[in-house]
Amino acid sequence: MPTDTKRVRGPEVSQSPSLFLPDGRQRDQVDVRPVFVRCGLVSQAKGSAYIEAGNTKLMCCVYGPKETERKDETDMKCGRLTTDMRFAPFSCPERGSWIQGSQDKDFSLMLQESLQPAVCLHKYPRSQIEVNVMVLENSGSVLAHAVTCASLALADAGIEMYDLVLGCSIRQDGASYVVDPTYTEQNSCSSVSSENQGGLTVAFLPSLNQISGLQSDGEMTEETLTAGVRTCIEGCYKLYPVVQQALTKAVRRAALPPPES
Amino acid sequence: MATVQVSEAEKVYILHGIRDDLRVDGRGCEDYRHMEIETDVVSNTDGSAKITLGHTAVLVGIKAEIGKPRPMVPDEGYLEFFVDCSANATPEFEGRGGEELGTELSNTLYKVFNNKRSVDLKSLCISEGEHCWVLYVDVLLLQCDGNLYDAISIAIKAALFNTKIPRVQISADDEGGKEIELSDDPYDCMRLNVENVPCIVTLCKVGHRHVVDATLQEKACSVASLIISVTHKGTVTCTRKVGGGSLDPESIFEMTEAGKRVGKALHTPLMKLLQEEESRGA
Amino acid sequence: MSQIMLCDKLCSVEDCIPGTGVYLRHGYIYSSLAGYVLRKNEGEELPVISVVRETETQLLPDVGAIVTCKVTSINPRFAKVHILYVGSTPLKDRFRGTIRKEDVRATEKDKVETYKSFRPGDIVLAKVISLGDVQSNYLLTTAENELGVVVAHSEAGAQMVPISWCEMQCPRTHTKEFRKVARVQPEYLQA
Repeated sequence: MPTDTKRVRGPEVSQSPSLFLPDGRQRDQVDVRPVFVRCGLVSQAKGSAYIEAGNTKLMCCVYGPKETERKDETDMKCGRLTTDMRFAPFSCPERGSWIQGSQDKDFSLMLQESLQPAVCLHKYPRSQIEVNVMVLENSGSVLAHAVTCASLALADAGIEMYDLVLGCSIRQDGASYVVDPTYTEQNSCSSVSSENQGGLTVAFLPSLNQISGLQSDGEMTEETLTAGVRTCIEGCYKLYPVVQQALTKAVRRAALPPPES
Repeated sequence: MATVQVSEAEKVYILHGIRDDLRVDGRGCEDYRHMEIETDVVSNTDGSAKITLGHTAVLVGIKAEIGKPRPMVPDEGYLEFFVDCSANATPEFEGRGGEELGTELSNTLYKVFNNKRSVDLKSLCISEGEHCWVLYVDVLLLQCDGNLYDAISIAIKAALFNTKIPRVQISADDEGGKEIELSDDPYDCMRLNVENVPCIVTLCKVGHRHVVDATLQEKACSVASLIISVTHKGTVTCTRKVGGGSLDPESIFEMTEAGKRVGKALHTPLMKLLQEEESRGA
Repeated sequence: MSQIMLCDKLCSVEDCIPGTGVYLRHGYIYSSLAGYVLRKNEGEELPVISVVRETETQLLPDVGAIVTCKVTSINPRFAKVHILYVGSTPLKDRFRGTIRKEDVRATEKDKVETYKSFRPGDIVLAKVISLGDVQSNYLLTTAENELGVVVAHSEAGAQMVPISWCEMQCPRTHTKEFRKVARVQPEYLQA
């Protein structure tokens, strides 16, 4: 039987276009946006890092250890890790103000709690280590990338750490989810009536297999939440080689290998 | 945060006790302390509640005011949270000392209520795009003895249950403008459906186990805790790790499961209690 | 020399003695820095394993460390100083310290007068005796022969020459000024 050559035949297997995100990533897959990381872009700082994931761009500087400003009993044995996360006024679709709002403070606190377990603070008595994060462009999953960027900057600064900290976010939307959501994906909720609707951010220490930060909002069942945490951990592992590579480069640039002794 | 100093020996004592499911005050690992709830305690508010949990005391007052709806959601009212850490609770809160904790608590409350079902926000709308009810939820910490999150969330639920919003009528005047008219009858008011309002359960990781409703001493022995807000159906509306330590993924899953179980069990007696008190007052 | 990442397992505690830039977990040595591994045999049975990065990692003044500092102000009870170096490593940030009257010299502590021991601007070698508490900064001492003023300028502005353990002389005006002078060890002079 002769085949109809005029007709364009579709592929054997096809998938619904809604399965794909606008930038070609797939839903329900641990498909993080391509990331670019680089250490040491601010020469004045002890350590610094820059991260770009899709359109989300942020930078982080680490200063210290220096003398503590605020003094109380706990500083005597352990150092203090201070974090400050700010959004540039032009970073979001709507112009923000330079003054730190309560949301920024919340982000700073989350960042601090996520990083602190990884830093060997007992090696820095009486001193404080400052971590400053500036969000240049907010295109979703800011907190997760801030965590990754800050831990890289800390490593670049030569601050002793137990492990790197990697961050990953997901957006649950009904039965499906998006890993590393963009700004629009983060704030959209298509299916109104569905049970599972929310965001989740996890900070993870990959070598020690520990979760140092966890935050979720919206509505989720326990099963979804558990699955989400697992997905985020998987997402963190995807970032790990990229971050390690950037750090290797930074180490090599900082100094040549010491002579064999 | 209000903290206490605990010596090494005390720590070991608490740790060993928890390992054997027996806590210093005789509770099991998933038991709450004695809880007292009182509603309608401040006459100037639209809804109020006071709760004492062990020695922790929290007062919540809710004021309803007419405001403009948010442009993104013109058919909904909204809630505003403010947590004040009074210097009465602990001298550490004097001046600006309590500010940090206050912002942390209120930010978490926003997250807990950041979903469509906790409070029916549509019922707070008066006229779309123009007027809506704004509920100002003001939390005052009177005494700190650990487990602030849980106490606050229960107090908010009780206060929301107690909230009476006056009914309003919208009438159009001759020029086509709208006028809001408050009902003359003080008993003619709207009540909120608080069935879906979540309660927060804080789980403190102590040693290899976790405890519910930790006292300050127990908190001092723990490196990290997980807060979970759970509705009566067991839906989780917010989770968050607090404290300077990290947790094993497996223990996080265990804690979420325990949190859901404890949280779910919390709602039924709470609602029963609130309804009982309501009927007694009437 | 192998490059190492953060949190890489280096070896068991039985094989090496942990040095700097490493931490112990479950009987193994892990790196706490991203850098290069350094194994040193220091005459002991096991080599010392450290992870290094750049030339020297950031040091903090520690109890027992010899520090070089600059006097910023004095009063009858103590002298305030800024710590500039720990050993031979310069500090990147400013750390403040205090030399109390009692810690200026080892003998006749009750007769010490801070004005006759230091002047603002002097460069002093001192030893850290305590990290201090909530109120105070690092506490330092100069109560050793090798510790004390190493560089001082006279009122005329010339760099003075030490003439005894408690006096220095201005080469221009030949006036003598009191200082707690350090007998500088030759090894420090070379550095």
